[in-house]
Amino acid sequence: MATVIAREVRDGETVAVGTLAPVPASGVLLAHFTHAPRARVVLLNHPDYWPFRQGSKEFYDFAQRGGFDLFFLSGGQIDRHGNLNLIAVGDVERPRVRLPGGAGSAMLYYLARRVIVFRTEHSPRIFVERVDHVASPGSSPPEVARPGGPWKVVTPLCVFRFDRERKALVVESVHPGVTREELARRTGFALDDVGSVEVIPEPTSGELHLLRTRVREAVAKTYPQFAETAFTR
Amino acid sequence: MAVPGHVGSDYERLRPEFKVIPNPYDPAQPVMIVPAIRCDAALIHALAATPDGTLLLDHMEDDALLAQASRVVIASAERIVTRDELGRAGEGVVLEGIHVTAVVELPRGAHPTFVRGLYAVDAAHLSEYVVAARDDEAFRDYLARYVHGPKDHAAYLALLT
Repeated sequence: MATVIAREVRDGETVAVGTLAPVPASGVLLAHFTHAPRARVVLLNHPDYWPFRQGSKEFYDFAQRGGFDLFFLSGGQIDRHGNLNLIAVGDVERPRVRLPGGAGSAMLYYLARRVIVFRTEHSPRIFVERVDHVASPGSSPPEVARPGGPWKVVTPLCVFRFDRERKALVVESVHPGVTREELARRTGFALDDVGSVEVIPEPTSGELHLLRTRVREAVAKTYPQFAETAFTR
Repeated sequence: MAVPGHVGSDYERLRPEFKVIPNPYDPAQPVMIVPAIRCDAALIHALAATPDGTLLLDHMEDDALLAQASRVVIASAERIVTRDELGRAGEGVVLEGIHVTAVVELPRGAHPTFVRGLYAVDAAHLSEYVVAARDDEAFRDYLARYVHGPKDHAAYLALLT
């Protein structure tokens, strides 16, 4: 997933990664150490990649001005229209699962030019036909000011592309060995028939080496436990 | 205040105090407005403080904003220093004492969370808390042991191994 994310980072862009996002942080750093040395990288809670002095307010103000080209979000539920639920599963008053809350996601999903949605679990309880509550809508009516929005959804099984015309996720590529049947079984909404689907190339030995060395070392400053366990394979 | 984005999300349904109005500067465009949060009290922990309540705060956190949104601000600090020493006490942002109601010296006052540069998160203790929080009886035991039991912060810290 980290190498898939790295390939989406473009050199010279301003790229930010928020809270609880070690996989995007790893991918962005990998890109920064390879093809995107001139990207401006912002990692929340990282001592070396946090160019703000006045807390997250300064970060959010910067984002509201359209300062970020690429940002990352996730969801307790994600639906086929790119809607994200960070509020609750089930009734809000008596939720089955209380999620952390939308925080800035309903702003960043509109204002960051491209948003990559990531989720390390690909299952029917996460990828649903319709989220219970929309913290961040995938699309908006034309009168709503919205320069940005969903771009891709990256999971351990596949990459969805967000089709702006159809306002829906379509399968763009799958990880090696993932069959269409498995993908359909583990996705809670009907997959759009998009014809040919590419297979995502395996990480190169160079990418793996960088992930296990420089990236791991840098990510450890924010996610020590993740750095300890995630790069061993 | 106005917040960008948000229009069309379920916050319109779930938070009736969040309102969507025509943007006064471009009436064709809807914009969400939210009321300011006004807290009765804020409890914040500083890297260092002067006796008049001026605080040196972690620049990655929003404590200065929280203090300014609250009627009463009670600060604890790793150490009390002079104004001169505050400037040399380390990286951070300074919040002037005019925003602060009371200040107390409390080394390791952020435990089990962290103070950047001084001590890390106590992951084992947080795990203990998470397990205890799963049921009422276990949580009562946790409170008795760590919150109501110790007579002061030093006694609390002495419980930790």
